[in-house]
Amino acid sequence: MAKLTMEEWLARAENNRRFMENVKAVKHLPATDGSFLPFPPWVHPAIINALGKRGIKQLYSHQAEAVEHARNGRDVVLVTPTASGKTLCYNLPVLQKILEEPETRALYIFPTKALAQDQMHEAQGLINELTADIKTYTYDGDTPDDARQAIRKQGHIVVTNPDMLHAGILPHHTKWQKLFQNIRYVVIDELHVYRGVFGSHLTNVIRRLVRVCRFYGQSPTFVCCSATVANPKEHAENILERPVALIEKSGAPTAAKTFFLYNPPVVNRELGIRQSALTPARIVASELIANDIQTIVFTTSRLNVEILTKYLKDVFKKGAPVDKNFVSGYRGGYLPNLRRQIESGLRTGDVMGVVSTNALELGIDIGDLGACIMVGYPGSIASTWQQAGRAGRRLGKSLALLIARSNPMDQFIVENPDYFFSRSPEHCRVNPDNLLILLHHLKSAAFELPFEKGEQFGKENLVDLLSYLEDKGVLHRVGERWHWAAESYPADEVSLRSINPENVVVIDVTEAGAHKVIAEVDWDSAFTAVHKDAVYMVESQQYHVENLDLEAKKAYVKKCDVDHYTDAMTYTNVRVIDVFDEKKAKNVICEHGEVQVVRKVVGYKKIKFYTSENLGYGDVTLPEKDMHTTSYWFTIPRNLLQKLPYNEAQIIDGLSGLAYCLYHLAAMILMADVRDIDKCIGDKSGEWFVRHGRGGRMLTRVGTDGKDKPVEEQNAMMDAFDPTIFIFDAYPGGIGFSELLFEEHDGTLTAAAGLIRNCSCSYGCPSCVGPSLDVGPLAKEAALAILDLIAI
Amino acid sequence: MNVIDRLKRLSGETKQKPHQPSRQAEIGELRNKIETIMARRPDATIRTAPQNAFRGKGRLLTDLICGEEIANAFGRFYVVPGNVDGSSCHGNTCVRDCAAMDMQAAAFIANDPDIADCTAADGLFLDTETTGLMGGTGTLAFLIGLGWFEGDVFVTRQIFARDFAEEQAALVFLNEIVRDRKFLVTFNGKAFDIGLLTTRLILNRLPNPFSAMPHLDLLHPSRRLFGSRLINHRLATLEESIIGFYREDDLPGSEIPQRYFDWLKRHDARLMVDVFEHNRLDIISMAALARHLTELMNHPADSDRCHPSDLLCAAKLFHDRGQVPEAHRRLLSLMNSDNDEVKAGSLKLLSLIHKRAGRWAEAVAVWETMLEHDPGDVFALTELAKWCEHRLRDVHRAEHFVSTALACVETQKGRNSLVHRSNRLQKRLHDNS
Repeated sequence: MAKLTMEEWLARAENNRRFMENVKAVKHLPATDGSFLPFPPWVHPAIINALGKRGIKQLYSHQAEAVEHARNGRDVVLVTPTASGKTLCYNLPVLQKILEEPETRALYIFPTKALAQDQMHEAQGLINELTADIKTYTYDGDTPDDARQAIRKQGHIVVTNPDMLHAGILPHHTKWQKLFQNIRYVVIDELHVYRGVFGSHLTNVIRRLVRVCRFYGQSPTFVCCSATVANPKEHAENILERPVALIEKSGAPTAAKTFFLYNPPVVNRELGIRQSALTPARIVASELIANDIQTIVFTTSRLNVEILTKYLKDVFKKGAPVDKNFVSGYRGGYLPNLRRQIESGLRTGDVMGVVSTNALELGIDIGDLGACIMVGYPGSIASTWQQAGRAGRRLGKSLALLIARSNPMDQFIVENPDYFFSRSPEHCRVNPDNLLILLHHLKSAAFELPFEKGEQFGKENLVDLLSYLEDKGVLHRVGERWHWAAESYPADEVSLRSINPENVVVIDVTEAGAHKVIAEVDWDSAFTAVHKDAVYMVESQQYHVENLDLEAKKAYVKKCDVDHYTDAMTYTNVRVIDVFDEKKAKNVICEHGEVQVVRKVVGYKKIKFYTSENLGYGDVTLPEKDMHTTSYWFTIPRNLLQKLPYNEAQIIDGLSGLAYCLYHLAAMILMADVRDIDKCIGDKSGEWFVRHGRGGRMLTRVGTDGKDKPVEEQNAMMDAFDPTIFIFDAYPGGIGFSELLFEEHDGTLTAAAGLIRNCSCSYGCPSCVGPSLDVGPLAKEAALAILDLIAI
Repeated sequence: MNVIDRLKRLSGETKQKPHQPSRQAEIGELRNKIETIMARRPDATIRTAPQNAFRGKGRLLTDLICGEEIANAFGRFYVVPGNVDGSSCHGNTCVRDCAAMDMQAAAFIANDPDIADCTAADGLFLDTETTGLMGGTGTLAFLIGLGWFEGDVFVTRQIFARDFAEEQAALVFLNEIVRDRKFLVTFNGKAFDIGLLTTRLILNRLPNPFSAMPHLDLLHPSRRLFGSRLINHRLATLEESIIGFYREDDLPGSEIPQRYFDWLKRHDARLMVDVFEHNRLDIISMAALARHLTELMNHPADSDRCHPSDLLCAAKLFHDRGQVPEAHRRLLSLMNSDNDEVKAGSLKLLSLIHKRAGRWAEAVAVWETMLEHDPGDVFALTELAKWCEHRLRDVHRAEHFVSTALACVETQKGRNSLVHRSNRLQKRLHDNS
């Protein structure tokens, strides 16, 4: 059979009634022409020559504008779609300056090591064309010790990540004297990634960087790049804490693209069950790949990467034998070598299909692909456009296909296409003055240089905070200066990204004597991904976890071939520690404040491939994890609930359904990733909580046996318990989401009532209160009855 | 609400009024749990550090530690001078002998020929006491101990920054002393003390006098020359086993930072007495250690002043630095040592020297001597097998040596390589027949 081109495939798809039945919207995005400007007169002929060799004879308008700002020392943020030549916007002025003044230094900051590697090679390539003696190096946790000294002294361009800047460079700035004495540019790429907790940390790291540069008499120019977000200028100004010029009109030409929003058909109206989003993804992806159309599939979880990679490999195994990497998975946790191999395979066309998490959403160079399939709404409009941008060859058409899952957020997006296509993308928010975050960085900053009276660092009263640290004995004040006066190394006390900076190494022990490391899992994921007896997958090869040794931070696995995968079950318990604010809403008391969250993995489900049947359960014994954070919650008086015509179990199901819906809507309202927040039903005292075990949903009481170990007593009665729904920040110390939710309480409840009432299912489905098998047959009805009591 | 109250609430430090009085006990319990959780966090060091038990009225620095306040254009600081007489002993070492350090030998162990042009009196012995052992810009060297020879007297100066504010003046004074000396002697100074002082000089915007100075870091040669027979390479271990000096009531290095933090709060001189003494002994021990290391380079190999295994290490060092005739000369007397290990080690190295020079007859004679001493010496058997196989082309004899070696070999790695060799020889035997 003749292979179809992308154009032909699109034409067929749009005439295919069965496909189009499920398509909720089609948008044809036309190709646009580029807008070009000549090189500015000051550009060194060697640079013009080197770029000419790569076919670049002029600049896109946004590049010309950006290099002019950078040249004139104006801090600038550049908003650019994927593949619009943003690297030139900073490489050109930086290399120009180095050619003029060979002592010049520049620091590039990328959010991941992989991106840093990629960009170092990009800059190095250009330098090789220049045949100039300019050195660029990456400096991160993988840099060998013996290379570090040379990098500190000789690297003109040092490419690093925020974590290394925080823990490896700033606390040792005297070793980087040469860099800091000559630093002219700081480049921060993928600025939109730095939001929430990570962004709040980064803002503080930048405060420290600026402070150290000032010590060496330098004030470098910042060049930032960001994907399309609603508030790029404001966000850059929040992070840099100074005025920043904005360039948002791209002069790069764009390819024609057809964008489909696809909602998988309902297969069981009773239960409101839709076909899994993985099914159409598998069908469309295998069709495209079979037609030699290079395809990227984004999924929202690491597990789905593995499942879909396995499905696609199964498809292509049946045909003629193909290269083992013909279809590949890609995600964080794969070892760097494997990732580099897949990236280059994508560029050369050896890899025709890749299934990835958002790890490939950022600017790693994989060339331009023909089609992009998104399995599930990526969580934000900005990410969706960024992922869709991976497909788009200069000539001809490309495809972007967003397949909705059954959760309320996805359903909302595909059922309201205007919301998606017309709305501006999300805002990026940071809260650098989160006291816990600020305090950590104050300590690191004091370690780097003593604080002097009159200095600024954040918006809180600095002298008060310094005095507090002095009382705690970590700072020592002499006159008007505060010196670090403790033995510890404060940058090691905090990780910029996750609660715990540790990783767990996954070791394949299938062959005795030939153990090898196959992956790394971050500390928090380890509890759910590599607990004992879990089925862990890498490149769709299954491994059975023999043992998880938390102390040694190692998981030992053996290859296996089974028909199922495992999904961990966790429970969460929240206790209120303090109330910041409270208000009386309709029939409920609504509050926000400090909470302690205890989480534990209690077991796992075995789920069969393809059918998703539940094949059984297993137990997991792992320590609990606790965290201090901020939460929003509201408490419904029990006497009110007891008047409803439902028994206790049904009311609890209704509450669970309501919590499910509110949680998803909250993530959308906050424009946060669903992983940034979490939910729990319990009691403000932390004494009671609702736990979903293998026997269904149950009310659980946590007592204390005097030895700090919770004793669980199940099937307790609601008589003693005022049900409270908590929606909390999933990061220690919180990031300000809960206060926003507190303010939006009425609006959120109203939206939930609308969503549940208008949902077409009979008894609850994943799009409103959750799948009825999960939440119980009366959950939808009970949730609506509860909402009648409390929603305006 | 002010920022500190908010912060205390976040970290659970203040007792809050409970929302419902009946839950008071429960919330108290919760607080305890939070305290436990906070104590497990890495920043638990923020909690009170153990206080040293110096009760009662504090004492003045000048009362307990004899020194003087010095002032310069940058401020004041405290200096404690000291002299160690040439006739006095530090462990088994006479100070006068230390002053007669052989500079050729010093240059050799430092692997820096510039030191050979100096005299012992040009050397500056340096050791710091700091507020932390992790390094980084936030670590202060509050006590800088220095020592040098004037005639046969060992002079010490301990520069003490009584507070952070005195650091700059102290570093300026350090700079003046360093300027008069030509090379540095430290123990682990390359990795720690000098890097730390360099950082502090940069932070105080002062010139760095160390950058071009030759540096004899005693840690590396000590590891090289004494390492084989010591359990670790800490200065205290070297003091006891090499210098024969035993400290009494020495303050462990790990307690020193906390002593200084307590001093900053209380200015009680009793806290610092042990720190000064610890630092002073470190400097004197460095002088004695330098003496032992250089002596080892100069002593004839049959010297009974030195441990034979140290002498073997010295011979190896000569060999590795390309001074093969010197190594050879020393091995010739070491091979007659009463110490079996030294004897075997000397013969082994000697045979390799012969082998590399192509003196096969001499090499074979050494291997045969080794077998006389120990018929199961795997090294000698293997070397003889190689010689038979590649030089004599006598596969039968080679095979004989290999099978003897296989019967004696103990390590798996050694066995693997022998099995490999044996297989190859068997195959050749088979092919030949």
